[in-house]
Amino acid sequence: MSVLARSVGNAFRNKIRTAAVVAVLAVAIGLALAMLVANQAVGAKVQELNASVGTTLTVNPAGGQGFEGGGEPLTTAEAETAASVANVTAVVGTKALRLQTSTGSTTGTTQQVGPGGGFGPGGQQATVSTNLTAAVDAGTLGNRNNASGSTGTTTQPARTLPITATGIGAEVDSTGKALDITSGTGLGDYSASEAKALVGTSLAEKNNLTVGSTFTIQDKTFTVAGIFDAGTTFGNNAVYVTLPEAQTLAETPDELSTMIVTVNSMENVDSTKNAVQDALGTTKADVTQGQRNLETAVSSLDSVKNISLIAFIAALATAGIIILLIMVMLVRERRREIGVLKAIGARNRTIGLQFVLESLVLVALGSVVGAVIASLASGGIASALIGSNTTTTAATTTQRGGGLAGAMPNGAVPGGGVPGGGFPGAGGQGGPFGGASQLLTSVTASVSPGVLAAGIAAVFAVAIIGALVPALLTARIRPIEVLRGE
Amino acid sequence: MIVVKDLVRQFKSGDRTIKPVNGVSFELEKGSLASIVGKSGSGKSTLLSLLGALDKPTSGDVVVDGVSLAGLPDGKLTEYRRRDIGFVFQQFNLIPNLSAVDNVMLPMEFAGVRKAARLQRAKELLEQVQLDPEKHSRRTNRLSGGEQQRVAIARALANEPKLILADEPTGNLDEQTGEHIIELLSSLSRDHNTTILVVTHDRSLAQKTERCFRLQQGRLTEEVRTGSRR
Ligand SMILES: Nc1ncnc2c1ncn2[C@@H]1O[C@H](COP(=O)(O)OP(=O)(O)OP(=O)(O)O)[C@@H](O)[C@H]1O
Ligand SMILES: [Mg+2]
Repeated sequence: MSVLARSVGNAFRNKIRTAAVVAVLAVAIGLALAMLVANQAVGAKVQELNASVGTTLTVNPAGGQGFEGGGEPLTTAEAETAASVANVTAVVGTKALRLQTSTGSTTGTTQQVGPGGGFGPGGQQATVSTNLTAAVDAGTLGNRNNASGSTGTTTQPARTLPITATGIGAEVDSTGKALDITSGTGLGDYSASEAKALVGTSLAEKNNLTVGSTFTIQDKTFTVAGIFDAGTTFGNNAVYVTLPEAQTLAETPDELSTMIVTVNSMENVDSTKNAVQDALGTTKADVTQGQRNLETAVSSLDSVKNISLIAFIAALATAGIIILLIMVMLVRERRREIGVLKAIGARNRTIGLQFVLESLVLVALGSVVGAVIASLASGGIASALIGSNTTTTAATTTQRGGGLAGAMPNGAVPGGGVPGGGFPGAGGQGGPFGGASQLLTSVTASVSPGVLAAGIAAVFAVAIIGALVPALLTARIRPIEVLRGE
Repeated sequence: MIVVKDLVRQFKSGDRTIKPVNGVSFELEKGSLASIVGKSGSGKSTLLSLLGALDKPTSGDVVVDGVSLAGLPDGKLTEYRRRDIGFVFQQFNLIPNLSAVDNVMLPMEFAGVRKAARLQRAKELLEQVQLDPEKHSRRTNRLSGGEQQRVAIARALANEPKLILADEPTGNLDEQTGEHIIELLSSLSRDHNTTILVVTHDRSLAQKTERCFRLQQGRLTEEVRTGSRR
C-alpha cells in the first residue's frame, strides 16, 4: 500500500459520490477544453487572415485598374522605390497578359477580335495568342464584355473568352495570396525568364494539360510546371508565368501591371499605405488596400477569441472550486481518520499528499470524460461563435456600401464576366470579403493533441491549487481527534 | 524510563472545567509492565493520550528517556509517536477501507520500511495475535470487534516501539484469547525490554502486571501488592 494506492482507493470509497463529482468536473473541464480549442481555432484563423490578406497593399498605375482607365504603366524602378519604404517586407510585381485563343488561321484574326488594339483596356494588358481554350463559356456576360472591344455593331461569331496570364515575381496570385499548387511544383526562380507556366485546375482540365504537358503562347512552347487551385472559377481559368517571361511576351520590359506590397504588420498598414503613395507620387500610382473590410472581421474574431479565453478561464476556475469544495468536505468527513494517521505517526505532508493525489484521481477521471465531451462539443461551439460573428460582419460591410457582393459566395462575383476581375478593384470589393467569409466558416475546431494537453495541464494545475487548501487544512487536525466519538 | 511530572489536563464544558488528570506523577522503569484501573470517565484514556503525545497537557511534563515532550516541536512529536509509541485505541481506530495487513503495514510505511519487509512483518504480527490467515487481507470494517482489536494490537507493535500504551486491549476478547494477548504483551516486556502500560477493567489482567495504578478523581495511586506475582 503506497500513498498513491491509498489515494486511489479513497477516491472510490463512495462510488456514487465519486461518479457525481466526476460528472460535474467533466462538464466544467469539458467546457474549459472546448473553449480553449475554440480560442485556438479562432486565434489561428485571425493569424491566417492577417498573414494572408490583412497586410497587403495593391499598387495600380494612377487612373488605371486592370483593363480600365489610362495613365502611365508602373515600372521595375518604382517597385524598388516601394520596396525601400519603411515597414514594407516585400514587393511583388505582376504583369498581366490577355491570352486569346487562336482560331487556327492567322494571328491577325486575334488582333482584330481582341480588345487590346489600343481601344479599351488602357494599354495595360497586351493581348497575345495561345492554343489554349478558356475553361469558361462566354455566356451572356462574356459576349457582352467582349463585344465592347470591337468597333461597330456587326454581328460577331460566338467567341471564345480570353484567358488571363499573369507574370508574377513570387509564388503568389494576382492579389498577393500564396498560390495553392495542387500538383507539380512552382516556377522556381520567379525573376528568371523561362518557358514554364502554372495552370489553373479548370483550364488544365479543359485543355487536357497535366504537369509536363506543353502549350503555346505567341507561338512559344511552354511547359506546365504545376497546377494550382485558386478556389474560384475565374481564378482557375488562368495561367501564371514568371514576371520577366510575361514582360518579354508583352514586349514591354520593365513594365508592371500591378505591385503587391506586403507590410510587416496589421498596425502599420495604414501608415505604410500613405508612405508608399507619397514615395510613388499620386500622379503615378494608386495605392489601395483591397482587404480593408477584413479588419472588421478580424476585430470581431478577436473579440470572440477574448470571450472564449474568458470562458476557458471561468470554466477552469469552476473546476478548481469544485475540487476545493469536495476536498474540504472530504477532509471534514475524515477528521477522525486523519487523527488516526497522525496518531500512528504519519507526517503532515504524507497526509496532505494523499489528499492532493486523491483530488488528482478525481480530476483525471473528469478530464477523460471532459475531453470526450470537449471533442464532441467544440466543433459546434466554435462554429456557433464564428457563425454569429460572420453575420455581424456581413451586416457591417453592407452598411459600408462596399458589399452587396460580399453576401454572395466568392465564386459568384467574377463569374465568367468582369474583365480583369481577378485584380483587386471592381471585383475585389466583393472578392476578398467573399474569401474572408469562406475562411470564417471554414474554421475547423479540430482538437489538436497539443492544445488538449496544454488544457489538461492547466486543469491539473488548477486542481492542485484547489486541493492544496484542504490538504493544508489536514495539517491543523490534531491527533487527539482520534479519541472523539464518531 | 518514563517520568511523569505533575501532569494536569483540564477540559472546559460549558462554564464548568473538569480535570480528569489533575496532578499525576509517577515513574516507569524501562521494560516494566504496568496497568491502570479506574471507573469509567475517570480519565484513563486522557492520561494515555498525554503519554502518547496525542494531546498536550494543560501543565506538567512527560520525560521519556531524558527527553521532555513539552519541549518538542510538532514534527518531533510525530516522530516520537511513529518510532517510540505503540498505541492500542479503545475504539481500535483501524482504517476501515484497508485490509488488516494494510492497516498493520501503515506505521511501517510511515517509518520508511521497505514494502517486502513490512508485508512480511505485518503477516507475522497478525499470526502472533492469532488472526485467522484468511482474514489478513479482509477489509477491517468486515471484521468482528475482537478481530479488529487484535489487528489494532498488531499495528501497535509494528515499529517495535519502546512504549506500548494499550487502552482496554482485551475488552472485546474471550477469556482464552485475552490470556494469549496478555502473554504476548508480557513476553514483549520481558524479552524486548518494552515498557507496557495497559488500561483495563479486567481484574485478572491487572493482577498479572508488575505494578497497578488506580486513577481516581484525577489522581494516580499505586495499589500495594500483597501476594507474589509471576
Ligand atoms: N475533549 C474533551 N472535552 C471535554 N471533556 C472531555 C474531553 N475528553 C474527555 N473528556 C471528559 O474527561 C473525562 C475522562 O474521559 P476519559 O475518556 O479519559 O475516561 P476513561 O477513564 O477513559 O473512561 P472509560 O473507562 O469509559 O473509557 C470524561 O468525563 C470525559 O467526558
Ligand atoms: Mg477510555
